Amino acid sequence: MGKTFIIARSNMRKAKGQTAALIALVIIASFMFNLWLMLSMDYKANFDRYHDKLNAEHVTVVSYGSSAPVEDFMTELLDGDNRVAQYCLTDCMFAVGTFPYNGGVMNAQFVFTEKAAALTRRIGRAEIVETGAADSGVYMPMIYKSDETAVGKTVEITIGSRTVEYDVCGFFNSVMMGSHNCSLTQIILTGDKYAELEATGYASPSALCSVRLKDKSINLNYESELKARIAERFNDARMASNCYDIVSQSRYISQMICSGIVSAMAFFVLLIALVVIASNIVNYIQVNIKNLGALKAAGYTSRQLVTTLLAQFLFITVVAALAGAGLSYCVFPAVNAMMIAQTGIPYAVKFLPLPLLISVAILCGAVALVVWLAARKIKRIEPIAALRQGVRTHNFKRNRVPLESTVAPLNGALALKTTLAGIKHNVVVCITMLVLSLVVVFSGLMIENVIVDQEPFINLIVGETSDSCINIRSEIERDFLSTINADKRVQKAYVYNSVNVAHVGGAELMATMCDDFSRVNNLNVVYKGRFPKYDNEIAIAAKYAKANDFEIGDIIEITAGGKTYKYLISGFTQISNNLGRDCLLTRSGYERLGTLSDISYYVNLADGVDIDAFNIEYKTKFAGFVNVTVNMQATIEGTGSVYISLVTIIVVAILILSALIIAFVLYLLTRTTLNNKMRDYGILKAIGFTTKQLILQTSLSFMPAVVLSTVLGLVLSSVIINPLTALFLSGIGIVKCTFNIPIAFNVAAGFGLIAASFALACLMSLRIRKISPKNILAAD
Amino acid sequence: MNKVLLKTENLSKSFSNGGELQHVLKNINLELYEGDFTVIMGASGAGKSTLLYALSGMDTPSLGAVTFGDKVISDMSQDGLAVFRREHCGFVFQQIYLIDGMSVTDNVLTAGLLVSKDKKAVVRRARELFAAVGISEQTQKKFPSQLSGGEAQRVGIVRALINSPEILFADEPTGALNSQTGLDVLGVLTEFNSRGQSVVMVTHDIRSARRGNRIVYLKDGVILGECDLGKYEHGDAARHEKLSAFLRDMGW
Repeated sequence: MGKTFIIARSNMRKAKGQTAALIALVIIASFMFNLWLMLSMDYKANFDRYHDKLNAEHVTVVSYGSSAPVEDFMTELLDGDNRVAQYCLTDCMFAVGTFPYNGGVMNAQFVFTEKAAALTRRIGRAEIVETGAADSGVYMPMIYKSDETAVGKTVEITIGSRTVEYDVCGFFNSVMMGSHNCSLTQIILTGDKYAELEATGYASPSALCSVRLKDKSINLNYESELKARIAERFNDARMASNCYDIVSQSRYISQMICSGIVSAMAFFVLLIALVVIASNIVNYIQVNIKNLGALKAAGYTSRQLVTTLLAQFLFITVVAALAGAGLSYCVFPAVNAMMIAQTGIPYAVKFLPLPLLISVAILCGAVALVVWLAARKIKRIEPIAALRQGVRTHNFKRNRVPLESTVAPLNGALALKTTLAGIKHNVVVCITMLVLSLVVVFSGLMIENVIVDQEPFINLIVGETSDSCINIRSEIERDFLSTINADKRVQKAYVYNSVNVAHVGGAELMATMCDDFSRVNNLNVVYKGRFPKYDNEIAIAAKYAKANDFEIGDIIEITAGGKTYKYLISGFTQISNNLGRDCLLTRSGYERLGTLSDISYYVNLADGVDIDAFNIEYKTKFAGFVNVTVNMQATIEGTGSVYISLVTIIVVAILILSALIIAFVLYLLTRTTLNNKMRDYGILKAIGFTTKQLILQTSLSFMPAVVLSTVLGLVLSSVIINPLTALFLSGIGIVKCTFNIPIAFNVAAGFGLIAASFALACLMSLRIRKISPKNILAAD
Repeated sequence: MNKVLLKTENLSKSFSNGGELQHVLKNINLELYEGDFTVIMGASGAGKSTLLYALSGMDTPSLGAVTFGDKVISDMSQDGLAVFRREHCGFVFQQIYLIDGMSVTDNVLTAGLLVSKDKKAVVRRARELFAAVGISEQTQKKFPSQLSGGEAQRVGIVRALINSPEILFADEPTGALNSQTGLDVLGVLTEFNSRGQSVVMVTHDIRSARRGNRIVYLKDGVILGECDLGKYEHGDAARHEKLSAFLRDMGW
């Protein structure tokens, strides 16, 4: 063991540069692994911890405009259901409204609760996390804390055409109603403000029913069942709801995307580190074949020599992995702040042994395997042959690029000879550049589709967007349509309305209906088949179809409001809003099941039209019949800015990381090349080659592999990036991505990668300056 | 007297050895003439190779100057020296130093194409030189490791001469060869010298030194003496006697 340690230490001392670069790569990999595991393992657990701490519900149903009989019926139902562990009914007020958020507006279904009631509910109580001096006003979910919405400031909440202004008293955490991603957004009012709002009649008096189930796994079905039973009894009952599965997943979309990207990058960096390690070992054996032969002659076994390399690389890995994990803890508070801004649930950074252990185990396992595989060649070394022949770096089979016949200039030809003689280096370069090309294409995709033009991303996540959404009472629909169709500012207006329906024998689905789907803005919602055209057709979410074995052309039975009807599946949709429990129906198709009392119209306006002014005008014109108007662009801006900043950080981090990886890999490769070619370069300098020429030759020798793999990588990545992103987002119901591929960006990035690689290779080759022909020649 | 090709003025070279300054060359004043076969002799550690490296621009002196024509090469940058070496010098080394990964032809063309862009002319010159030193076409396709020592050194000479250098520097060119192949190599050098090629050779082998027309004897970094042997002729016993006497005088 002592001898092994001495040899390992000697190897590391001899190759300080390589050791340092490898340590850097492993640190980055470990940093990302640990970050990914912390994000993916403990964040979801944190949700459950808070869920338990606040004794939160598994199903929430708000019955608005409800009357005592509905509440009595709900009590009766829940009391008699042995699947229910606990439930709680609380008075509240319900309204669809907006408030300013991130420079835009947030559109949500508000559940207004009185402070004392909200904080003392047996089930699903809220927890105040920040409070100020004001004792009259509003407490907002902590996710909405910003520069503009802060303690001591005011917030304007718009309900229908009315706006109410409250002092912000503080912020709270609510597990099931603490964010716009929960479908229901709780707003806590102090007693006086609650009474004031109640008196205005802006919001509907409602009953907030929170149910904890004995078996939480049935929450999704229980939610639909409960609502269906209420609807069966009270045809006019109006409800909004959510459940554990939907909330727990949708509040963590950003965290899932972020940890997914970090995990992918971690595996990429690990792959590159492993390739570099394998290349290093093969090179080490080649260069040190005489020493290894001597050690074998002195009595060392192959196993001992392999163990030496294992010890050397595992030592580096363990130290670097621990350092990387430490680094992740330094960065984690910043990442955590970003994640809390997305999830709206507090998370206290703490030491997590399991992610650390898994990170170190993955890295050590992978490194050990690669070292063992690459070092097996040692077993084949015969001591005498190794001592006699020493290093053989050329196979002497063929004189590649003969100078007599090549058309390449001398430096290019010599560089090409080096390229062709170093296949292992080319493999390392190719793998690195292929991975980095994919990373660059992904970054380009994000820049183009999230940062520069948010529409493709929003279309994918939200489904359909327009400029304005106006929700009207059905009785004025004819007047509304004649007015809006005559309005020259309006490019198009179409019904785009969502209601809950249920698949008979299956789950509740969010049905979105349109009078004519050919008029919608986002035609990519149906990715296979076509939109429903007739009243007996339906398009269903691909995720749901897959789970239930539905194909296009199959019949699905849908029920709502006590009626059931069979529909022909015309296509598959992908909308992530409801995590893959969606369907599309034509309006006439839905009207076979029920009638619409409120209808949402999506309106596209001409460029330059003030959306807010337009909405106010229609609110005024149809006062009393417009339930709500939404400036959708402002809403997108509000929610989108969060994604933009997240994606910007991710892209910047990815690009910095890519630059670092290229630098490390090229550093290792040029160092190895220079070590191998030290004698040759000494000779070439002696016969008159300048340092510049040799630097050029060295850098050029990497270029064929760099250029080929970059071009191939960019083309391949451009082809696979959408399917890959879809695979990545499959968890939220996305099956097919149609993001714009930024060709110009990719081409520019390709040139950038090649130019950066060349510049870095030149930089790393500057060591050639130190090669003195006299020293090399005198050394022999 | 022939034209002066290379001249040193008070050339000194010192090395730091464990903090102690070692003066390897001390105030060397030497002129090398066109067409001469100058042999630098001396005991081991006398500074022969150091002088050769300083003369050829492979190393820079600590003090003094080395002048080639009107160019002070001791003032040149490393890249300037590289260009000087490629344009004016040829090198034959004791350890030969061919590049393992290149064929014999490519070893020679690498040096040739560095100076001339006329590939055809370079290839033609290489073939002439290969023929002159007795390297067959078959051997030209081989790699250095497949050559005998004598063949490799003859390839080294071809590489050194491919650019028709003004001076050919040879550092113990027969040192790694057996006696017969050593004689063959010396024959090649003598032959080229007889055609007008200036040669500067470092050796401590009296048999090799006999090929030179001028012997410079170095001791402890100082030129102790010089001897003019005249033009080499095979079997010239008087010449051998003269050299032996000179070396005896020098304390050889």
